[in-house]
Amino acid sequence: MSRLHVSATVNGDATDFLCDPSASLLDALRDQLGLTGSKEGCGSGDCGACTVMLDGEMVCSCLVLAAEAQGRSVRTIEGVAEGSVLHPVQQKFLEHAALQCGFCTPGFIVAAKALLDRNPDPTESEVRYWLAGNLCRCTGYDKIVRAVLAAAADLRQERTPA
Amino acid sequence: MNAPTKFDGAKPAYRHVGTRPVRPDGVDKVTGKALYGTDFKAPGMLWGAVLRSPHPHARILSIDARKAEALPGVHAVATGKDFPTLQSLVMHVGEGASDIVDVARNCLALDKVLYEGHAVAAVAAVTPEIAREALALIAVEYEELPFVLGLEDALAPDAPLLHDDVFTKGVEPKPDKPSNASMRVEMGSGDVEAALATAAVVASGRYTMEPVHQGYIEPHACVASWNADGQAQIWCSSQGHFAVRALTASVLAIPQADIRVTPLEIGGGFGGKTTIYLEPVAMILSRKSGRPVRLAMTREEVFRATGPAPGAVIDVRIGAAEDGTLLAADVEFKYHSGAYPAVDAGAGVASAIGHYRIPAARVVGTEVLCNRPAAKAYRAPGAPQVNFAVESAIDELAVRLGLDPIELRLKNASGEGDPQTSGVPWGKIGWTQCLEAAKAHPHWSAPLGENQGRGIAGGYWGNYGGPSTVVVSLAEDGSFVVATGSPDIGGSRASMAIMAAEVLEVPYEQVRCVVADTASIGYSMVTGGSRTTFATGKATVEAATQVRQLLCERAARMWNVPAEAVEWREGTMHCISGEKAGTSISVARIAPMVAHMGGPVSCVSAINANGWLPGFGLHICDVEVDPETGHVAIVRYTAVQDVGTAIHPDYVEGQVQGGAVQGIGWALNETYIYDHKGRLDNPGFLDYRMPVASDLPMVAAVLVEVPNPDHPYGVKGVGEVPIVPPLAAVANAIHAATGKRLKSLPMAPDRVFAALHGCA
Amino acid sequence: MRIVVMPPFDKEFFGTDRLDVVPANLFDLVDRLDALAPGFAAIAQPRVHFAVDGVLETDWARPLSDAREVILLPRVGGG
Repeated sequence: MSRLHVSATVNGDATDFLCDPSASLLDALRDQLGLTGSKEGCGSGDCGACTVMLDGEMVCSCLVLAAEAQGRSVRTIEGVAEGSVLHPVQQKFLEHAALQCGFCTPGFIVAAKALLDRNPDPTESEVRYWLAGNLCRCTGYDKIVRAVLAAAADLRQERTPA
Repeated sequence: MNAPTKFDGAKPAYRHVGTRPVRPDGVDKVTGKALYGTDFKAPGMLWGAVLRSPHPHARILSIDARKAEALPGVHAVATGKDFPTLQSLVMHVGEGASDIVDVARNCLALDKVLYEGHAVAAVAAVTPEIAREALALIAVEYEELPFVLGLEDALAPDAPLLHDDVFTKGVEPKPDKPSNASMRVEMGSGDVEAALATAAVVASGRYTMEPVHQGYIEPHACVASWNADGQAQIWCSSQGHFAVRALTASVLAIPQADIRVTPLEIGGGFGGKTTIYLEPVAMILSRKSGRPVRLAMTREEVFRATGPAPGAVIDVRIGAAEDGTLLAADVEFKYHSGAYPAVDAGAGVASAIGHYRIPAARVVGTEVLCNRPAAKAYRAPGAPQVNFAVESAIDELAVRLGLDPIELRLKNASGEGDPQTSGVPWGKIGWTQCLEAAKAHPHWSAPLGENQGRGIAGGYWGNYGGPSTVVVSLAEDGSFVVATGSPDIGGSRASMAIMAAEVLEVPYEQVRCVVADTASIGYSMVTGGSRTTFATGKATVEAATQVRQLLCERAARMWNVPAEAVEWREGTMHCISGEKAGTSISVARIAPMVAHMGGPVSCVSAINANGWLPGFGLHICDVEVDPETGHVAIVRYTAVQDVGTAIHPDYVEGQVQGGAVQGIGWALNETYIYDHKGRLDNPGFLDYRMPVASDLPMVAAVLVEVPNPDHPYGVKGVGEVPIVPPLAAVANAIHAATGKRLKSLPMAPDRVFAALHGCA
Repeated sequence: MRIVVMPPFDKEFFGTDRLDVVPANLFDLVDRLDALAPGFAAIAQPRVHFAVDGVLETDWARPLSDAREVILLPRVGGG
């Protein structure tokens, strides 16, 4: 079967790749573009380890066909930091020890950033429900939620400096 | 080795121990740079795929792979016949004893398949799509056999037998007929029946559960590259790359030093990655194709084919006097061993009632084979199941006697010197301290709302020490590298850096910790069994201490003074007596010179760490039960645990919180559901329902510190204890909220509803 | 010196839970027990833990001349 040629913007860069028609966006990111930060935990959209932003919307990249990325903009974990400057969500994950094995962490960071981009002052409950699509087996979520709330506070300060 | 430390009185003022610095591997993990099992690619790599049995029990009559081999793009096919013929040999690798023949058969079946999902053949091809296509072209002829899934069914006299060479161990007279009961362990002392007869109250019941999976988010994966000259490399995510090397070399009958195993970052293990499934298969495919081969499991394969924690049937009777003194206990349990004898009933026996002083006790465990994946370690393996029954029974005693549940436990709590079930006395444990801390915690006296109830449960795990090798080396600018052989599953690199920096009295950032591959460092046992901070930590302290001493000797020689005249303070060597008193040199200034003296400074500590101590925990759980739906919400949870000394409190809290939440999932939702054909119905995260963030409140982790005198900083293992108490803590809370005691897990809404409304 | 054999090893190998042996160290003990019940040595390292005077001892070379009691028990593995 012949492969498809897809052109997209990935983490701000114009990119293209070849893929099998049945390949998922996750497969293409990892295997064609070498962006292995997004992970496959289940392949069925149930764990969120593959979370990326597609045209500004949070998606499970294992449920998106690679071909669907044609002409669209994708942002992955590799595009969260600005150069070497970590995003506050990343920084707070480190400070609050919100990761143990770290496998679910990219998915959580992309999802948490998507939340804070929309809702700069979420309650604990809002954070938990927004992140309900991201599974973590190591942490029990306590420190992840604290890190996201701390990042939210950080960002609110940045936006309205004292 | 280090002499036992005195931990009497106030906690020492540490520089780094007890602080919360950022872990050294953290930035890689929050930016997606860290390489896990399927992130690693070797040049020219082929993609592997595994064909698995659709039947739970069958003879393999033939495998015809010719069409698969002929498919363009396919470079190799492997079956069980590609493994060498092995002699039976029981090895302790990873965390348990297994016969290497069983390990090999589990990687690729030979004559029989023993569970749905059992690997039968594998292919390597240029793309994953072609590999999957090739699997469909492999024709396997099976003769289906009757299968058995349930514990009691597998013990029935006419049950289908999985192995005709398994005779129950631990019974007399020795059986002459094979059986699905692979092992029986019975311990205890005293006249239990007589003592029960004198009890004012006897709590009794049968408690049951199906297997549960460790649920690591990263499926198993490896890349293997086996050259024609016999040397090989394996890159894999694993809790123990030395175990991968030993098991793979044994299955393939090749020298261990021929395989270099590089540990990649690991996305969770919890005991499930202390063994091998894919590595020898990838090796065969690599040798046949002449190229590196990646094999990775899908989530479905993880559920169908990797080892869960055993399901169980536990019968318990515990008798107490009117004042709450425990008089007798009789605990009998059966655990699913799955397809091969691997789970040790001894762990369940050791973990059942040792936390209480009970004069007459009998604990009996039987392992039962059945047509399910072979059970594997899952965080305190064998303990949560039996603890669920025992702590539920203790709760029932407290209720019926009208006693406070913490007081009842305090009254009977084992302490230092009291005998465990085996007769071996407890060491310096912190069980009573956990109970007191729970009693004093605000959670214990907080008010409850409507439909809410509070339950507690306590438990323990033995932990371990064992062999670890650590090398601490001085870089030419005075910074240090600590190399260990312990894969980092939860922040151990940070803890090793903390301990080394503590010894060297230098800033934390001046010490970097890495995990070395099997060719680059001496042997270390797996990261598991709650051993790493204890054993690898001990070796780290020892090696760092040697480095300190050696540098002092070098400074002494340089200054031409006796070695005793040089003292180390905060990374600087000071001459404290004689003519040169007052002279000093920092490690940064001596470092460039050492290679021009006696040689580079690099010290190894290779130890078999002794003196580990068990951990104890007490959990307080508040639930709210919706009477209309049976849904149970956890509204507040506090996990109190004796951790010895918390080297890095964030990661210690993380272990306690993570283990508690796994236990909550086990209690409320997780289970294996099989259809009538012996096939797994829920091999995915949608229907194997693990806790998500919206299911839970914050989990308060209360770290009690009763230091271990046999570790330089007082460490006790922490990782496994926290999964032990939650099952009963949740069940006891549901009972407090509803008056109904559920004895079958999971306590999912349909079951709670049925219990509340008296329907089947 | 008392040698106490805990289950399942008592029934699995020796037919008794008390043995009359005076070993120099645990290596020596395992050899003597293997002589009593061939096959024991093969499983001793993977499946057995030894408690010497109430403390688990993993150094099989440690001299036992001062020891009063050795208990053989099932080795418990973690995860």
